[in-house]
Amino acid sequence: MTKTKTLLALALIGVCATASARGDIEMLARTCNGCHGVGGVSVGLSMPSIGGLPKEYLRNIMKQWKYDERSAITMNRIVKGLSDDEIDALAAHFAKQRWVPAPQQASAALLAKGKSAISENCEDCHGFTGSDPDVDAPRINGQWAKYMELELAKYRDPRFKMPHRKMKKAAQDMKPAEVPAAAGYFGAQDK
Amino acid sequence: MQTLDRRNFLKAVSGAAAASVLTVPQSFAATAKARVVVVGGGFGGASAARYLRLLDPGIDVTLIERGTRYTSCPLSNEVISGERDIRTLQAGYNGLARRGVKVVHAEVTQVDPVNKTVATADGQSFPYDALVMAPGVDLDYSAIGGLTEELAETRLPHAWKAGPQTLLLKKQLEAMPDGGRFIISVPKAPFRCPPGPYERAAQVAMYCRHHGKKKAKILILDSNDSFSKRPLFEEAWKALYGYGQGGMIEWVSGATGGIVEQVDATAMTCQTTFDDHKGDIINIIPPHRAGKIARDLGLATLKGTWCEVRPESMESTAHKDIYVIGDSCVGGELATGNGFPKSAHMANSQAKVVAAALVARLNGLPPPVPIYTNTCYSVVGHDWGFSVVHLFRVENNKWVYVAKGSGISPVTFGTKEKPLPVPRSYRKMEVAYADGWLRNLLADSFA
Ligand SMILES: Cc1cc2nc3c(=O)[nH]c(=O)nc-3n(C[C@H](O)[C@H](O)[C@H](O)COP(=O)(O)OP(=O)(O)OC[C@H]3O[C@@H](n4cnc5c(N)ncnc54)[C@H](O)[C@@H]3O)c2cc1C
Ligand code: HEC
Ligand code: HEC
Repeated sequence: MTKTKTLLALALIGVCATASARGDIEMLARTCNGCHGVGGVSVGLSMPSIGGLPKEYLRNIMKQWKYDERSAITMNRIVKGLSDDEIDALAAHFAKQRWVPAPQQASAALLAKGKSAISENCEDCHGFTGSDPDVDAPRINGQWAKYMELELAKYRDPRFKMPHRKMKKAAQDMKPAEVPAAAGYFGAQDK
Repeated sequence: MQTLDRRNFLKAVSGAAAASVLTVPQSFAATAKARVVVVGGGFGGASAARYLRLLDPGIDVTLIERGTRYTSCPLSNEVISGERDIRTLQAGYNGLARRGVKVVHAEVTQVDPVNKTVATADGQSFPYDALVMAPGVDLDYSAIGGLTEELAETRLPHAWKAGPQTLLLKKQLEAMPDGGRFIISVPKAPFRCPPGPYERAAQVAMYCRHHGKKKAKILILDSNDSFSKRPLFEEAWKALYGYGQGGMIEWVSGATGGIVEQVDATAMTCQTTFDDHKGDIINIIPPHRAGKIARDLGLATLKGTWCEVRPESMESTAHKDIYVIGDSCVGGELATGNGFPKSAHMANSQAKVVAAALVARLNGLPPPVPIYTNTCYSVVGHDWGFSVVHLFRVENNKWVYVAKGSGISPVTFGTKEKPLPVPRSYRKMEVAYADGWLRNLLADSFA
């Protein structure tokens, strides 16, 4: 094979050592693009960017959805059709992509309110801008604020199964008005 | 039609844009490894052209589409109710052009599968090594007595191809008096967007509720005996608008007189096997079939209506080197009633399969293992939505419907032993996700 052919073969078939015997991880990952964007960079305000999130986090939450340990609106249905190997390969695939923040505009008042809310309750685990998270947490700097608001609503609602107890508690301790402020604050960060 | 005559040659080179689409076989052979022509620039065709270029920029891709601006049907029911501006559903073709797709705006009139050329109404001819057909659906007006294409554009809009008719139906709804009756006639399946007509009923009801038309009625005359996501629709209709006797929305199944056979646009009545129904607005969605250009080419091997394709590549079973994707094709696990839904997401998914299969083939690489997925969102109130997802794999050259990776939004919450109603916040989140999905899907097809 020529070099370009080899590269192409790699792109088509996937280089992932853990790629499942059932098929082609690139092909599978492309099915996510319709909702999460190419390379996991979303352009839809309510849909999260997933490219560049930590492998362990990605793997962990997909398995939680698959085994009904975690609530979701859509993802729980999608991942149930995937094998554990495929989930591992997808996690590795998206973790390898670059995190591309989408810093969103927010009013000075909202940013100030967000900043004070997060420095009390969130900074310890997520970092001051959301880009320096604990090992089990995802980056949230420049994540879509609308998506984070919806996610925080899930952490705050006891009817939703969200297994991370500390994050759940932090979300439930927020005042209702702090939710959009914190989401808007992290969403506005580019670094 | 194979070669450009002198007049068309000059016409073609006279504009900068036109020059870029001029086909000169020799020079192609020298620079590009293969020429792929894509017919139809909807979700299917646009995604195919885009992914071919993403996966192998060495392939020469020409997309031929009659329109210059595409309007997404998904979420277009929200335009009818005034919840959404139609411009949020539109995309142009510059994104594809920037990726090196040669975009040609013309009507494809003929395909010659022997000499492998595509001809357009304005006299251009495009040779291909592989052809991707994605012309969407044709609506069969002749199936309903009294209905014509002209009537659909003036008095009886179907609004099943988003654009001017969507806005016309919206205008008609705005002008409908309180107590007026809005009839939706649903064709026999398969039709594009299985949940679409029922979502439309809800959007129309929402408009009436909030715009002083509380006594309006929406009558769904269905040619079928059941429908997609039925328990979810019925729950929402009941809770939001009233359903059945005395409610705002009424549904008549095919078996109980829902099949519309005749329409009178002057008297504004439609005739079913059982009854005559008078409507202030009659929204007839005519039966569907594969796009004309695909049928003319003999690709519609299933009852002369739909194009059969090979599961591993989407190649037509009728012609070599011709691939059919999107609404025109038929696939899935037909024996169990789990065929491919005709949806934008599905068309986008099939496009990725065809692109990967073609890139592998044109580079002499082993074929990749395909996977097909779908999602359809239905927005039935400003804070109430739900969805269905589908997963299909290919095993032993056959499509396999993966029930475990497919399904509708929950009908109940909690556990089997202790079922609870699904929280309203859950339904509301799906409205937000529908919007995010559409933006990503448009970008994944046109950007
Ligand atoms: C009200 C409504 C709601 C919907 N909601 C959803 C939804 O929520 N989710 C979802 O996934 N799907 C939805 N759909 C379905 C979706 O719109 C279609 O399945 C999708 O558009 C199919 O894509 P396609 O590329 O096959 O066809 P199309 O999008 O119809 O594109 C075909 C293109 O080919 C062009 N063309 C055809 N013949 C020629 C020719 N001879 N020469 C040149 N150009 C030609 C046409 O101009 C057109 O642009 C909905 C549909 C409707 C009507
Ligand atoms: C139909 C749209 C859709 C498709 C297709 C889709 N997702 Fe999602 N995804 C969502 C939604 C909605 C959420 C929010 C969680 C939920 O479902 O409630 C989400 C959330 C996620 C998250 C969590 C992100 C975070 O920041 O915590 C990950 C990871 C993810 N999806 C991975 C994937 C992968 C991998 C695929 C492809 C196999 C995929 N998704 C396909 C809609 C989709
Ligand atoms: C104890 C550490 C901790 C604290 C405190 C904390 N978080 Fe988290 N956060 C996490 C972890 C870990 C996750 C991933 C949890 C999971 O797997 O469900 C997370 C997830 C999130 C998410 C979802 C991200 C995504 O991509 O889906 C958001 C948004 C978020 N946190 C915001 C906040 C806000 C706002 C606060 C302050 C009110 C906060 N967090 C406090 C650890 C923490």
